[in-house]
Amino acid sequence: MRPLDLTEKNPSKKVTIYFDGKPYEAYEGEKFPVAMLANGLYWLTTSTEGRRRGAFTFGPVPVKVNGVKNINGRKLVVKDSMRVERQRYDEFQEQIEIDEGKPILRYVVDVAVIGAGPAGLGAVEEIGGKLTVALIEERSWLGGDMWLKGVEQEGFGNPREAIEKLTNFPKNVRVFLKTTTLGVFDKGEYFLVPAVRNDQLIEFMAKRVVLATGAVDSIMLFENNDWPGVFRRSDALEVINVWNVAPGKRVAVTGAFPEEITPELDRWGIEYVVVPNPRRVEGEDRIERLIDENGNVYEVDAVIMADGRIPDINPITQAGGKVYFKRGYYRPVLDANHRIRDGIFVAGSAVSIKPHYANYLEGKLVGAYILREFGLEAEPCIYEEKLRDYEPVARPISKLPLDGFSSEDVQICGCGVTLKKVDDVVKSGITDLQIIKRLTHLAMGFCQGRFCLFNGALLVSQRSGTPMDRLDIPVARPPIKNVKMKVVAGRD
Amino acid sequence: MPTKKLPERSEITVIGGGIVGVTIAHELAKRGEEVTVIEKRFIGSGSTFRCGTGIRQQFNDEANVQTMKRSVELWKRYSEEYDFPFEQTGYLFLLYDDDEVKAFKRNIAIQNRFGIPTRLITPEEAKEIVPLLDISEVVAASWNPTDGKASPFHSTAKFALHAEEFGAKLVEYTEVKDFIVENGEIKGLKTSRGTIKTGIVINATNAWTKLINAMAGIRTKIPIEPYKHQAVITQPIKQGSVKPMVISFRYGHAYLTQTAHGGIIGGVGYEEGPTYDLTPTYEFMREVSYYFTRIIPALRELLILRTWAGYYAKTPDSNPVIGKIEELSDYYIAAGFSGHGFMMALAVAEMVADLVTKGRTDLPAWWYDPYRFERGELRGRALQMG
Ligand SMILES: Cc1cc2nc3c(=O)[nH]c(=O)nc-3n(C[C@H](O)[C@H](O)[C@H](O)COP(=O)(O)OP(=O)(O)OC[C@H]3O[C@@H](n4cnc5c(N)ncnc54)[C@H](O)[C@@H]3O)c2cc1C
Repeated sequence: MRPLDLTEKNPSKKVTIYFDGKPYEAYEGEKFPVAMLANGLYWLTTSTEGRRRGAFTFGPVPVKVNGVKNINGRKLVVKDSMRVERQRYDEFQEQIEIDEGKPILRYVVDVAVIGAGPAGLGAVEEIGGKLTVALIEERSWLGGDMWLKGVEQEGFGNPREAIEKLTNFPKNVRVFLKTTTLGVFDKGEYFLVPAVRNDQLIEFMAKRVVLATGAVDSIMLFENNDWPGVFRRSDALEVINVWNVAPGKRVAVTGAFPEEITPELDRWGIEYVVVPNPRRVEGEDRIERLIDENGNVYEVDAVIMADGRIPDINPITQAGGKVYFKRGYYRPVLDANHRIRDGIFVAGSAVSIKPHYANYLEGKLVGAYILREFGLEAEPCIYEEKLRDYEPVARPISKLPLDGFSSEDVQICGCGVTLKKVDDVVKSGITDLQIIKRLTHLAMGFCQGRFCLFNGALLVSQRSGTPMDRLDIPVARPPIKNVKMKVVAGRD
Repeated sequence: MPTKKLPERSEITVIGGGIVGVTIAHELAKRGEEVTVIEKRFIGSGSTFRCGTGIRQQFNDEANVQTMKRSVELWKRYSEEYDFPFEQTGYLFLLYDDDEVKAFKRNIAIQNRFGIPTRLITPEEAKEIVPLLDISEVVAASWNPTDGKASPFHSTAKFALHAEEFGAKLVEYTEVKDFIVENGEIKGLKTSRGTIKTGIVINATNAWTKLINAMAGIRTKIPIEPYKHQAVITQPIKQGSVKPMVISFRYGHAYLTQTAHGGIIGGVGYEEGPTYDLTPTYEFMREVSYYFTRIIPALRELLILRTWAGYYAKTPDSNPVIGKIEELSDYYIAAGFSGHGFMMALAVAEMVADLVTKGRTDLPAWWYDPYRFERGELRGRALQMG
């Protein structure tokens, strides 16, 4: 077994890949960052500012593959003899091969459900068999965040068994995995939902849209929080439960919600320590130690941020939705039928943070509203009633480490924006988030603010005294996920 | 959204806090005038922060060439004095047939007459300037190395900061709702946050000009309409990859360049309107990608980070409206900048400040005469990008 493998892998799938010239053991179908992690390698790419980066915290992971630069390493699937090399973010392929491109696929459906977590699956369960559905999921599995869990879930029991039951779809439900939605566009008669799968453009035309697009992990601010070996909770869960690889030999769990990961670490017997108040991580091309605010030093090789989740507001604001601030996060303004506007429904942790089962019920609820809009029988009140048992999670608003930290080492955004850079602008007297964004490039890079805007808002709020709900929050612009120009450049 | 208090009175009030309103206020305050800018959202939130960053002197008539020559002098001076990114990396117009070459030769002659060093170059020379170009269909290029680009964010913010240092007041998140007029004289403005007493008003709202004119009760025909234009930006790549603004009329009226931050920014001639809608469209994303990848094939493999929309506030001849409206005392307009209001702003600020403080200017303000539409004296169409 490789140093961080949790289970024996299938020997018939064993391949060799080369990273910066050195051979490594990998398994067919594995993602490149997972294969490297299993071998104990965290540093995969380098930011334009020269910071070493891994694949499990923020920032893009461009790598050179078989001589071609600027390939997304995060999604790269290994193949035998593949040669991968590190590169800097700003390197790109100047000489390119021009291929024909792939033809556009088009599907006309009653409902496009975006996101196949418990909420999306709940919606599909409600409407499937009655309406035609396209279920669009960016990741390679169904069940969203719940698929990443090994321990029993309230209301569901064993998460995988529950998902398997939910994914026994009737004929009129088409599932699109590894398919990334670019946005929702109003065409009057219908909504156009363009998406990309394996560099091919797919256009969904739907009468109704369900945004079951979920939440994102909160990024914690401490010194060197972008170091290779810092994990977002969801990435740690994925490497453990989907790929059966440990994040490290000895792991530190930080943040306000350690219980969101520790039962999973217990399950696999991964050694860990809970450190609520990290100040700095240090190491060479991987983490060697974590130092907390009291000066305690922990010898660890991985750090998992478990500081709770916040709704991903980008799909919502791009589609024309408004947001408000409640319980410690921004969330969509919904009408009585759970819509951000006519025809566009939201369900699950895109609405508020709550248990998987509640998200599933909310999906069912939205499905019931949709059935009604199509003149079919449905009883949304059943789900409304049940949902009352679930109070959404309140996320404590963390106090930012503004003073006493060396803020040039704290990355607020993966695109080279340090806490210091943003704080300096705020301290110069500019306290409008909209202007700060443009002067610092916060929320203007690869993630479009998904992981950094919230902390930017928090910084402005705490420095200026303006409450979070009074800030002018920038809206997301299409594409809501990055897309290669060639994918949309074709003409038909 | 923190904002300063609306002052009770101000000698001069500028409506609109885009680059034009902010630089006018900066210039007036620098000359010692009491001036307030009222902006309904935040500084730059209109078209300014949505623009393509380009600054060129390659126009097709004398007046715009003169105006832009002065503007570039000011861009150079203030970028050094106030420390914001402005680079003279040139404008490169790719030409694909004899007709285009002929038209550009004419333009080059005008530009040269005013000392602008534009010249016709070969496709190979163009490729030396931007090695990523596909020149297989290019027959020549019009090249002026003294054109350039600037960061709309940093420049506007710096002008705002220095305007305040000179005593101007900038009031954000405040919308002008109505004029208070007595006997043809402006007495004040009603806003969403109270009333301000003022005697001189400058309408620098560009795309919203007609609404402000209507509030002021102006009857003179001033046709400025808002059109939706969109732009795109890619992931940042190595600095220096696309130094100049590259223009191709053949390929969708495209313009593109690299920002100081490294992304490739630009747009195409994809116009909708008149409309106040600013929703970015899927069709634009496809159009711009189709054309850009034909001009620079390497862009195919770059990630699109974002698209967005802004306004071209357009007049029938694509030239702005700058001057005093005699119906009302004292009311000025500086608006209707089409796709070139960012680049012109610094000269326009000087022009307007001259008109307000001296009643005359050495810059060719006559070309932008607000009464030309009434008189049916349209100018030649100004060369427009996008
Ligand atoms: C996609 C695109 C690309 C472009 N590229 C270029 C380029 O490369 N080079 C170039 O020179 N130009 C370019 N332009 C044009 C340029 O953006 C505009 O000409 C320029 O920004 C106009 O500046 P402004 O200050 O007149 O207008 P704006 O920046 O629009 O400012 C007007 C302000 O008035 C405010 N306002 C309106 N009504 C009220 C009210 N009632 N009360 C208070 N405030 C009010 C608005 O909120 C707004 O902020 C581009 C435009 C677009 C859309």
